[in-house]
Amino acid sequence: MKDDKSKSELNYKDLTQSDKDLVAKLVRGGFSRREVLKLSMVTGVSLVAAEHLLFDGKAAIAATPKKGGSVRVAIDLHGPNDQTDPMQFTSGIDYARGRAVYSSLIQHANDLTPQPELAETFEPNSNATEWTFKLRKGVEWHDGSKFTADDVVYSMNRHLTEDSTSTIKSVMASVKEWKKLGSHEVKAVMHSPNADLPTLLGIFQNKIIKNGSKGDWIGTGPFTMESFEPGVKSVHKRNENYWREGAHLDACEITAITDPVARVNAVIAGDVDMIARVDPKAYRQVDSAEGVTLTSIPAASQLGICILKNTKPGENDDFVKGMQYIQDRERIVKRVLKGRGTVGNDTPISPAHGKDWCGELPQRPYDPDKAKFHFKKSGYSSAELHVAPVTSGIEDTCLLAQANCAKIGFDLQLKKVPNDGYWGAVWMKEPMNVVTWNMRPTANSQMAIQFGPGGNWNDTFWNNARMGELLSLSLAETDPAKRHKLYCEMQTLIHEGSGMVIPAFSNISDAIRDNVMGVPTVPLGSNGAAEWPEFIWLA
Amino acid sequence: MMTQMVFQRIGIGFATLMVVSIIVFLATSILPGDVAQIILGQSATPESLAALRTELGLDQPGYVRYFNWLGNMMTGDLGISKAGGATISSLIGGRLGNTMMMAGWVAVISIPISIALGLWAAMHPGTWLDRIVTFGTLSLISVPEFFIATVAVLILAVELHWLPSTAYMTGNETFVELMKALAMPLITLVIVVSAQMIRMTRAGILNVMSSPYIEMAILKGVPRGRIILRHAFFNAIGPIINVIALNLAYLVSGVVIVETIFAYPGLAKLMIDGVQTRDLPLVQACAMIFCATYVVLILIADVGSILSNPRLRNPK
Repeated sequence: MKDDKSKSELNYKDLTQSDKDLVAKLVRGGFSRREVLKLSMVTGVSLVAAEHLLFDGKAAIAATPKKGGSVRVAIDLHGPNDQTDPMQFTSGIDYARGRAVYSSLIQHANDLTPQPELAETFEPNSNATEWTFKLRKGVEWHDGSKFTADDVVYSMNRHLTEDSTSTIKSVMASVKEWKKLGSHEVKAVMHSPNADLPTLLGIFQNKIIKNGSKGDWIGTGPFTMESFEPGVKSVHKRNENYWREGAHLDACEITAITDPVARVNAVIAGDVDMIARVDPKAYRQVDSAEGVTLTSIPAASQLGICILKNTKPGENDDFVKGMQYIQDRERIVKRVLKGRGTVGNDTPISPAHGKDWCGELPQRPYDPDKAKFHFKKSGYSSAELHVAPVTSGIEDTCLLAQANCAKIGFDLQLKKVPNDGYWGAVWMKEPMNVVTWNMRPTANSQMAIQFGPGGNWNDTFWNNARMGELLSLSLAETDPAKRHKLYCEMQTLIHEGSGMVIPAFSNISDAIRDNVMGVPTVPLGSNGAAEWPEFIWLA
Repeated sequence: MMTQMVFQRIGIGFATLMVVSIIVFLATSILPGDVAQIILGQSATPESLAALRTELGLDQPGYVRYFNWLGNMMTGDLGISKAGGATISSLIGGRLGNTMMMAGWVAVISIPISIALGLWAAMHPGTWLDRIVTFGTLSLISVPEFFIATVAVLILAVELHWLPSTAYMTGNETFVELMKALAMPLITLVIVVSAQMIRMTRAGILNVMSSPYIEMAILKGVPRGRIILRHAFFNAIGPIINVIALNLAYLVSGVVIVETIFAYPGLAKLMIDGVQTRDLPLVQACAMIFCATYVVLILIADVGSILSNPRLRNPK
């Protein structure tokens, strides 16, 4: 009896997180009769109840944000190297502080479409060799001075100078120069056409700072910086003079708890309101805890194994094929990532990249027989793989590969190395190593960084002239069908020819207290790619 | 005699500091990668590395950088963090205070408890109480501190919600709030350091108890409590003070695990962060503080044991 009653009055808030996600997805997508049917089938409730659920869910999701309150957010890493200058941002805590204090020209929506921020409009010329940005008027810096085109030109040109120490120098290299057209209008003159420029302007390091400064925590963002102690915490107050509606919270505090177990315990105990990065080993603990939600946002954070193509054994194509066929991809997603991930197809592009992902490319299966055949043909019977815990799950992925190799008589030796100093000493140096890349906002930048011929981070040293051609052709292509064809050709090239093994992508998994609402789901990093400061509120 | 020894020890202490600074400098230089590589990480290019190295002054030879650092250090200038750009003194300032506060409270709580329990166990050797103390301390010495810390968090914070799981301080809390925030790391550290001090106190006193003058006192009919407090304790105090000093030095420099688990901003974690980012001036500054702490505490311990022992106090 009780059961019947609860079923007929099942409300959105009573659902499990995965059902909530489903309802939320349907609500955001606008639901049809077919989707109501689907929901009823998946959740096992009646059609009427499913309909009720969707309306209730819509109301719950669209609830008006409340003003006030403050939160503590704990990221996973910090230290004396916490940065002040956006150009030098490297870690999640920098990104969060940057989002609280500074603004960008463009902001990423959850589906990565570029939204106006300090730039009200952005228009390319006919062949995307120039982009014109009309800037918002009446915006003031935290110190009260006026925001103008000079600030934008100064901030953006800092990435382009010869001796620039910007961490995104190469990402912005398609721009030749930023020019001022008027007090609130600027123009980007390109070296080569780039239809994706606005999307790139939304990334973490592209913050607008005051002309002549190095950031210094004077921004135009939703929060001001009240105190900043590197490696300890920063405290922020709402910017009452913000040019948009403004932050909902009165204040927030950004800190880090570096120990993964302590971080999870802190959010479960309620000492912090939101944490970044939950280790797969703690999924069950967070899932079963009261008052905390474990998020799971499909992204393109790759678990990658780089096989260098310019040396032994990777110069042998059959060896690479053997390593690719020995990956039990389904099992990695199910067991190592506990279902919170997607299967990879040895390209860096995942379904999270939307329409640029090549779904037509046949999925490479786990096939020990083929692996055995290719290893045999390659003439190698053993190889050494350098493994550091660069991302959660990579070590277990390699252990699984080792076990599967042993079954077919191939000796895959794992050499465990520490994270400390890994990027300088092992990656791109040892013939086989592991890698992870944060998801880039466009499929083009994601592929260009790792597979652009002769590029700085071509981490398998696979130089393919056609790939280079396609990378620039696709940037200038504006017809969607032709564009997709070009992106598919690139992914096929990587899938077939490069030295990259990408068996899986992990989802973004953070933990949030249930009273924290409105956390964005931008898939480029933890906590909605740090886009939360302006949007979250306390229920 | 005494003052001569103290001055001599201070001199040796300075020499030790210099040697340590050279060793730390060399050891940090041997580590793979430099601070520019760590800052730029995965996104480093040869050009951006070169530009950043020039900006940070890393293009100078090692000995030039060492003597520059030494010269500035002598004038009290600790320099600027290579990794983040903040002054080292601002990075260290608050954390030194935090570390000293934690070490101070642990000392205030654990030293009286340890000496009292150790004395009690020594007064009643072989009784069930002595066995509980002996067994308990032996077990606690064998358990790593991260285990004690994690179990304490799971029980007291996650399950019972009595105490916060991290040692979070706003800087303007009341005494009660401060004690509540510090409770978890304090409990963990008191357990860790007390166990050793209790055992040392007990062992030291029982050792003295077998000497001829104590037997004489027993034959004279002096009560056992008086023998221990009046005769045995002051003769056993030398090693006890030394163990206390070593534990205090550990509390200043070695509690990185406890600092990490409770997200407590202390000096030990700062030094580890410095090593991880190859931030040489920061590592050097922390190393100097830790080394000086050891030198000073052990000096105090030695002076203490001399003062407590009439034979050493009045040498013939």
